[in-house]
Amino acid sequence: MNFALLFSQILNGLATGMLYALMGIGLSIITGVLNIPNFAHGALFALGAYLLYSVMQLIGNFWVALVLAPLGVGLLGVLIEYGGIRPLYKAGHDYQLLLTFGLSLIITEGIIIVWSPVGMSQVPPPLLRGGIDLGITFYPKYRLFVMLAAALLVLGAWLFLEKTRYGAIMRAGIEDKEMVSLLGIDIHRLFTAAFALGCVLAGVAGALTAPIRGLNPWMGVDMLGIAFVVVALAGLGNLLGSIVAGLLVGVAQSLVALVWPEASVAVIFAVMAAVLLVRPQGLFGIR
Amino acid sequence: MTRSPKAWLAILAAVALLPFVVRQAIATEIWIFAIFGLGLNLLMGYTGLLSFGQATFFGSAAYVAGYLLKYHGVSVFLALSIGIAVGAVSAALVGYLCVQRSGLYFIMLTFALNQMFYFTAYQWTTVTGGEDGMPGIPRPNVLGLDIHSPLAYYAAVALLFLLSLWVMKRIVESPLGKILQAIRENEQRAEALGYNVPRIKLAAFVVGGAFSGLAGVLYAMLFGIVPLESIGFVFSGNVVFATLIGGSGSLYGPVIGSFVFIWLSESVSSMWARWPLLLGVAFVIVVLFFRGGVVEAWARFWAWRAAHRGPAGAGADGPR
Repeated sequence: MNFALLFSQILNGLATGMLYALMGIGLSIITGVLNIPNFAHGALFALGAYLLYSVMQLIGNFWVALVLAPLGVGLLGVLIEYGGIRPLYKAGHDYQLLLTFGLSLIITEGIIIVWSPVGMSQVPPPLLRGGIDLGITFYPKYRLFVMLAAALLVLGAWLFLEKTRYGAIMRAGIEDKEMVSLLGIDIHRLFTAAFALGCVLAGVAGALTAPIRGLNPWMGVDMLGIAFVVVALAGLGNLLGSIVAGLLVGVAQSLVALVWPEASVAVIFAVMAAVLLVRPQGLFGIR
Repeated sequence: MTRSPKAWLAILAAVALLPFVVRQAIATEIWIFAIFGLGLNLLMGYTGLLSFGQATFFGSAAYVAGYLLKYHGVSVFLALSIGIAVGAVSAALVGYLCVQRSGLYFIMLTFALNQMFYFTAYQWTTVTGGEDGMPGIPRPNVLGLDIHSPLAYYAAVALLFLLSLWVMKRIVESPLGKILQAIRENEQRAEALGYNVPRIKLAAFVVGGAFSGLAGVLYAMLFGIVPLESIGFVFSGNVVFATLIGGSGSLYGPVIGSFVFIWLSESVSSMWARWPLLLGVAFVIVVLFFRGGVVEAWARFWAWRAAHRGPAGAGADGPR
């Protein structure tokens, strides 16, 4: 096999794997803190990509768009938590699931109505166009940027959760909600913040993905399943685990794409099934 | 189940009248979807296992039985039996991985494994036809009887639905059904009483999968095609919605829910190409304002009436 090709596929796998990790971490925070299944996570990812596209059309500055698009998704997250999820905390997972599933249908159809049902493409900013010579192979600059940006965001999320007071409250919320509210912390504000943060991470993953894969209204569907895979393998609230799981499925996917492209999406779920067969409690055996 | 005879009379009347009220294909689809819902309800309503992957079993059975009907000319009985078996076996495979985790992990795993089956069907175009689906599923004669006319097929499906309902009633009233409800109410306690909870959950999964498989084959023969959507997650979500709207945890809930859901989606889908938007809005409205579904609303109404008429027994054995 061509070594240069193998190398660049591994790099591709690492870049998409970091995006998967980002999705998984966002979902992990939402699921862990709020204790709800978030079936809108994929649709929020797609919305991030579309907002980036529109801000680019309006302002033309990629960097501004990369900041504004996730914030827009986060803002929507605040509204969703406040108006939809809050009344359902005591209602059971079935109703929470149906709500977020309904929201994902609404967001997806909304994207079709506002933008377009057909796919669109987004070019990377001028600075990141073209490739760079890595010695072994020539590699697109933008993908390296995505790898770096996602790694920085994961690091930022880790620093936030581990080193700040608010992050500590969030981790405590994952562990024991009752104790957190007994300590006099406004649990509702915590829930809103956690949901918004998860949405921002989904939005930024979507925005970063747009110049790689282009946009289509259903782009979030695969991502939703992948985010679930990452959480199922890593355990809720496990950042390091999410990175390992994200990179694992990302690299597995891009390597399989090399030999058997048709199976490259199904393999993500097959990897999960294989891991769970050996370790039913996931890679790190939490909860 | 004290009001059981009344409920059965109502269902028999509905079975007899429905094909003359709505289009026969829709009437048929309602009972097929009800069988699908019965299977999910055993998991969701009776065992407390929220599966968001029921389309896995529905679609797998539809593809396998559809393939055999189309290319090997198998009989309807064989196709149905194989479909039920495929539903049960795929549910056993998926269930084995899922029942070892609980709560939100369980839900996410059922969805993720549903995606695995979906993408397999999507890419395996030589067999499944990929996005175009698998067309040309025949509807052979049954014991010399021609079931090509919509009404004849309706009758066959309605009969199988009644049979399924009866079987499900026997299951939920059996010792297994009681254990499932015990697991729903208090898993630790059921475990402490000596029940092998994961294995019993798996049993529920397999039974639910068998019902889904039956529904899948009937669906393929109804429309003469196995569409890719039949194994997709939207289908899994729809059956959850239908079961919830009818009221999970009651035997007849999914039947009512299927009626409401199919009728609703058939009427809005002809109105607007973007009808999933309306469906999404309906999900949100039901969840925010009509939790408990039709059955509970009905029970509440009767309880309210009873309360206003003096002493009387409380409402039906409502869900949870």
